[in-house]
Amino acid sequence: MASATRPATVRERVAESDRSVGRLLLVAAGALFWGWLAVSWVNRWLGGVLVPVGQPLVPPAAVEATLAGIPVLAAYAADAGFVVEMTPDLARGTWLTVVITGVSLALGFVIAVPLAVTRVYGRFSAWVSLAYTELLRGTPLLAQLFVLYYGLNLASYVPDAVSGVFAREVVWVAILGFTLNGAAYQAEYIRGALESVEEGQITAGRAIGLSKLETIYHVVLPQGLRYAIPSWTNEFVYLIKYSSLAGFITVPELYYRADQIAAETFRYTLIFLVTGVMYLALVLTASKLMVRVEERVAIPGLGAEREE
Amino acid sequence: MSVAGTLALAAVESLGAAARATAGAPPTGLSTAFVGDAVDWEFVFRNADYLGVGALLTIGLTVASILLGFVVGFPAGAVEVYGDGYLKRAVTVAGIVLRGTPIVVILIVMYFVVGVPQINLGVASISSAMTAGILGLGLRSAAYQSQIFRATLASVDDGQLEAGRSIGLSRFEAVRYVVVPQALRRSIPGFQNEFTIVLKDTSIVFAIGLAELLTRGYDLFSEQTTAVLEVILFISAIYFVLTFTTNRALDRLGSYYAIPEGEST
Amino acid sequence: MSDDDFLRVTDVSKWYGEEQVLHDVSFEMDRGDVTVLIGPSGSGKSTMLRCVNRLAEAQEGSILLDGEEVLSPDLDVDELRREVGMVFQGFNLFAHLTAVGNVALGPRRVLGLSETEARERAEDQLERVGLADQLDSYPAELSGGQQQRVGIARALAMEPKLMLFDEPTSALDPELIGEVLEVMHGLVDEGMTMLVVTHEMSFARAVADEIVFLDDGRVVERGPPEQLFERPEEERTGRFLERIASHD
Repeated sequence: MASATRPATVRERVAESDRSVGRLLLVAAGALFWGWLAVSWVNRWLGGVLVPVGQPLVPPAAVEATLAGIPVLAAYAADAGFVVEMTPDLARGTWLTVVITGVSLALGFVIAVPLAVTRVYGRFSAWVSLAYTELLRGTPLLAQLFVLYYGLNLASYVPDAVSGVFAREVVWVAILGFTLNGAAYQAEYIRGALESVEEGQITAGRAIGLSKLETIYHVVLPQGLRYAIPSWTNEFVYLIKYSSLAGFITVPELYYRADQIAAETFRYTLIFLVTGVMYLALVLTASKLMVRVEERVAIPGLGAEREE
Repeated sequence: MSVAGTLALAAVESLGAAARATAGAPPTGLSTAFVGDAVDWEFVFRNADYLGVGALLTIGLTVASILLGFVVGFPAGAVEVYGDGYLKRAVTVAGIVLRGTPIVVILIVMYFVVGVPQINLGVASISSAMTAGILGLGLRSAAYQSQIFRATLASVDDGQLEAGRSIGLSRFEAVRYVVVPQALRRSIPGFQNEFTIVLKDTSIVFAIGLAELLTRGYDLFSEQTTAVLEVILFISAIYFVLTFTTNRALDRLGSYYAIPEGEST
Repeated sequence: MSDDDFLRVTDVSKWYGEEQVLHDVSFEMDRGDVTVLIGPSGSGKSTMLRCVNRLAEAQEGSILLDGEEVLSPDLDVDELRREVGMVFQGFNLFAHLTAVGNVALGPRRVLGLSETEARERAEDQLERVGLADQLDSYPAELSGGQQQRVGIARALAMEPKLMLFDEPTSALDPELIGEVLEVMHGLVDEGMTMLVVTHEMSFARAVADEIVFLDDGRVVERGPPEQLFERPEEERTGRFLERIASHD
């Protein structure tokens, strides 16, 4: 049947322009968010070249005064000043959130690929891989972090070589926990994607004289990993959110910092709404970034349906 | 631990310090640590009923959250497929926010910000932490379940709706009697996944001090710090058994309701 | 062309966006008539058929069914479809229901019959199409020919006054076409009013009261089968029939 090419109705055009305004606002908010984070981090590393370490980039009093002069926003001036006052702490916490997520995701991927490959193509090793993923996916992440931190007391075993990287050794425990857990989930996604690569591809690889391992590396993985991108994006997003659990083993990431401020000031509403928005910004950035990646590596005729 | 999230974190802090202090002379090695101490295992089993009540709370919290998630999430998914205008946009945005925020933040917001009251049912009362837990886990689950249903509703062939309309069913009836029954069957695998996620994430109500399985485990090993590993391994085993049996049960459900020999086009 | 035509299609035009797919199509049928629409693929014959029960919306023209204007915006579309049965090229059986379930759904939910009444009616209709032994089979367990017979039974169960067939045998393997045509023959004998889109020329020839040849959304020629098949007036009709014949 022919496709409908009827002209857009007025309502649709309004909705369309609404959307593009919305998109523009979103991009502006994103730029502001990441600009603020980047400047805050650089300022801290350079020992406070712009403002003293621990001070907000703009004086809270100034923000408060400015807003107080604007009729509608005047009511929120004090709140805004308070939020500005907590920005240095939030920026510090966000740094750890980003680092823990990024490092764990990358390390987890390195473990996940062999896990998935052995699961699909291995014999005995397939069972080992299955046991690992089932165990890690079958228990709560928080319990796993407790095992590593309280149960095995791993914080006191952090090798000297890396112990100076973060102010607290426990950050490494969190990274280890998220890596081991994330590897299990990533392996599942990659396994599904590998299985969706046609059998004939392997036959063809073997037919031109590649070994089984070479075929997997040169033929199956390049296709399978592309299929895996959408679900892998989900894992990325999950990890950003679940990195907040590191707070429960005393890692001073975003959630932990927010909770501390809240405990001191009892302003739970404001603090956690701001914190929620910050996580949302991280998550939206990650998913937009992965859409870009997917487009960049796309091959015509290859790829899975996206879920949003 | 029954007080509040911040208190939970504060306790975590002090216990962490205690753990480090007692571990001043590092244990003899990981291998013995994994086997554990007979005395500590005895401690765990002595408190098995205490943990058992926690496990029951975990199950109750999971079931209630999944149900709330279904009651809210299914219509939300239908709105995303069949709806339009502001309602659809509102549902979409709410979904993005709930899926983009850590569950611990959602729970804290429910507990402190929304300030849900204790609910008195006469025979029993639901603590405000429990209500906050169900609301937080349930609404977030609704946001994920809506995506499952959105995808499966959209996956049912258009010809099915058309055939329904051709015998005189209204649009709503055709969706209700023809599309929904097929979509629900296709939703079982996604639903299975969601069920395990909710079950595991009930552990995070630790943040608002609800005495479910993990919180009770935490209370126990705070009391006898040498039994930390034994307690956590024990409760992990319970979680594992719960997720495993749930998955197998839903597998059964899936094959029971499966439409014979796949689906025609 | 009397005033009491059962179905009268007058100057129906339809666009998909900018593209006009039907140009002033007109034809009419009496009660009990069988009219067959033929034409190359993309000629608009399926679209024309769908306009009659409003699965497709015509923008211009008039379709009078039993004296009532089908294209009227005030018409209850569900009511219309209750009285007009449709059989699809791709069967479109409800995948989650058995043969009986498929046929009983309409009587149960639309006509409001009780569970037992609906089932009885479904069983009767399935018997009518020769499927008394497959009542509880799911669509995927049936052959294409059986599926299409369920599709016909599903439409018949609403006791329609007009049946629309949209290429009912095009999706079938050649050896399964016969059983479906046989059922359709039976309906013709019972005096059912039928509007059929098909490529089965021998069937058309045998049962049609009138053949309407559509090309490019226009009625090129229409007439009784003998005339249209033996002595087509238009060159295009002749060419189309030759092409079809060489395929048979």
